Amino acid sequence: MTAGELEVLDLHHRFGNLVALDGVSFGVGAGEIVGLVGRNGAGKTTTMRSVMGILRPDRGAVKWSGHPIGEDDRLRFGYMPEERGLYPQMRLLEQVAYFARLHGFDTGAADSAARTWLERLGLGERTSDKLVALSHGNQQRVQLAVALVHGPDLLVLDEPFAGLDPEAVDALSNVLFEQADGGAAVLFSSHQLELVERLCRRVVIVESGRVLADGTLAELRRRLPAELRVKVDAPPDWARSLNGTRIASADEDGVLLVVNPGTDPQIILRAAQAAGPVEHFGFETAGLVDLYREMVSA
Amino acid sequence: MNRTGITRLVAGREITERLQGRLIRIMTVLTALIVVGAIVVPGLIQESSTPTRIGLVGSEAQALRPTLERTATAAKAKVTLSNVSDETLAREQVTSGQLDAALSIGPSTARVDVKQSLNPTIRAVLQASVDSAHLRQLLAQSGIPVDKVLTALTPVPLTTVALKPPPSDQAARSIAALAAALLMYVSLSLYGTAVANGVAQEKTSRTAEVLLAAVRPSQLLSGKVAGIGLTGLGQLAIAAAAGVIANALVHSTKIPGSVWVLLPAFLVCFLAGFTLYAFAYAAAGALVARQEEVQFVTLPIGLFLLIGYLLVYAVIAHPDATWVKVVSFFPPLMPAMLPARIALGHIAPWEIPLDALIMGLSIWAMIRIASRVYANALIYSGARLSWKEALRLTDHKPVQESSRSAAA
Repeated sequence: MTAGELEVLDLHHRFGNLVALDGVSFGVGAGEIVGLVGRNGAGKTTTMRSVMGILRPDRGAVKWSGHPIGEDDRLRFGYMPEERGLYPQMRLLEQVAYFARLHGFDTGAADSAARTWLERLGLGERTSDKLVALSHGNQQRVQLAVALVHGPDLLVLDEPFAGLDPEAVDALSNVLFEQADGGAAVLFSSHQLELVERLCRRVVIVESGRVLADGTLAELRRRLPAELRVKVDAPPDWARSLNGTRIASADEDGVLLVVNPGTDPQIILRAAQAAGPVEHFGFETAGLVDLYREMVSA
Repeated sequence: MNRTGITRLVAGREITERLQGRLIRIMTVLTALIVVGAIVVPGLIQESSTPTRIGLVGSEAQALRPTLERTATAAKAKVTLSNVSDETLAREQVTSGQLDAALSIGPSTARVDVKQSLNPTIRAVLQASVDSAHLRQLLAQSGIPVDKVLTALTPVPLTTVALKPPPSDQAARSIAALAAALLMYVSLSLYGTAVANGVAQEKTSRTAEVLLAAVRPSQLLSGKVAGIGLTGLGQLAIAAAAGVIANALVHSTKIPGSVWVLLPAFLVCFLAGFTLYAFAYAAAGALVARQEEVQFVTLPIGLFLLIGYLLVYAVIAHPDATWVKVVSFFPPLMPAMLPARIALGHIAPWEIPLDALIMGLSIWAMIRIASRVYANALIYSGARLSWKEALRLTDHKPVQESSRSAAA
């Protein structure tokens, strides 16, 4: 598999009066899984459609390995749209093989790849069934097989976990890890932030067509005010005059301070020690859910 | 894979899907049966015009034989005459079906015995023969010279000179024109609707978005049109082959010479007409939000097809009228009207290249407009688009989808 890197550069797009994308830029490296997070209407689907060439943005560019994406590049991409859709009356093997052929496989290779993926996704017994005869969950698996059958270098999955049971979520997670390990660049969107946190090293948060944040969880944490819990055997007044912090709460577990980025925790520690014996001093680790809420509400 | 390779792949899928459907088999068999029927049935009717067997009862009737034969030949009625000795035997033979009619002649009466009814032509032949014999007999009895009277009675020949005679096979040409127009109307609306349905199915099942990630809208569209067009052409070819075979087997109809000009003309017009209409139907199919809306959005297109077909009646009635000529240049009406005008032989040679030019330009424009509407409307997930809304989308970008559906 030839690894490549996706670059999304300053995408702008309007639907009538509605600004859908207002300068979206980010990248997905080879072997990287990037989560695209944002509320409904933030611009995730429009971004993904621009990457897949389904929609031509008003302005901006999408590049693959440094060059504008051509038709041959696109054949090496796999896509799972938010609104799933395949031919209802087509048999599974024919269907998946057809999409493999559209991506440049010859008949024999397409058939064997389709069979392999259907078997891997637990549909080996149903290759000659029509899509319409399958349950919703199984139809999702076929959709995934269609996205993967040609061994893509870039996977773009719009809400791939929506509607999956926990078992299927695990199966899909494993597939994504495996694809990334194999060198593919993976971009997916999800509202299930715990999942994004588990799968991605890097997260892109979009809001109103703009990238609000782009980085690893640790980087995002550094950009936001952190929560610091300090327990001192003294009234919380010692913390009131500290620069760059404010008291979020104070109770028998101590004070919870909101510390602005760039504030030196050592100054806070020294102030606490000056007030009395310090029993506890530690940052509360913010999950993606907290970070996301914090950023979107800011 | 190159662009034509993908288009071929898309077309191949369309053909496979259609061939798997039951409807196409029924339609193919039905079309072939109609064509075969149209050839065989007239043949059967012709064959049934076997000579009428007439028994001549008694010597008076038998004496009429030469007159009867002459009159029948003049009236182009086929008869076989046989002598029957008496009335009882004659009636038996009529009842049993050995004879169709038995003629007996009395002193001043004549009678025809038939089983149920008498063909009016045969009746006229018999009547004329009996009258003529009766006249001769009366004249002879009155002593009037028969020959002189008969000469006097001979009608003055009246010759009709047609200054602009219609082709000898005018009727056949009219029928061919109508049949071609009907076949064109039926096949274009049938396959056109199939294109619209196919597009709508891909849109409403959301398959389009997965496809468009790998395939250009133009490839998808041309593949679909080509696949369905070829299926239709195959169906027509099967029907035509069945017709030719049936014709060879029953040797029934003398196929008019004009048909051999009409056949390739029809095929060319079908291909051009199908291309023009299929792209329009495809764009219409992309407008819908639900499959059931296809019938509604394709209505205006079907109307053009219908008008084209109906105007062929005017072409037959007034083949040389200026307005007919002018109207037949209007591209949507051309596929039905042009073959009809060719069949009727009322078309000037210079009109053909002009028709081809107009049609070529129209197809080019239609492909451009339809591809744009198609590409824009296909991933639009809101309510049904109007033609106006769709035509306003001229910048290759999907229409605003936020107002009706959330663009995430």
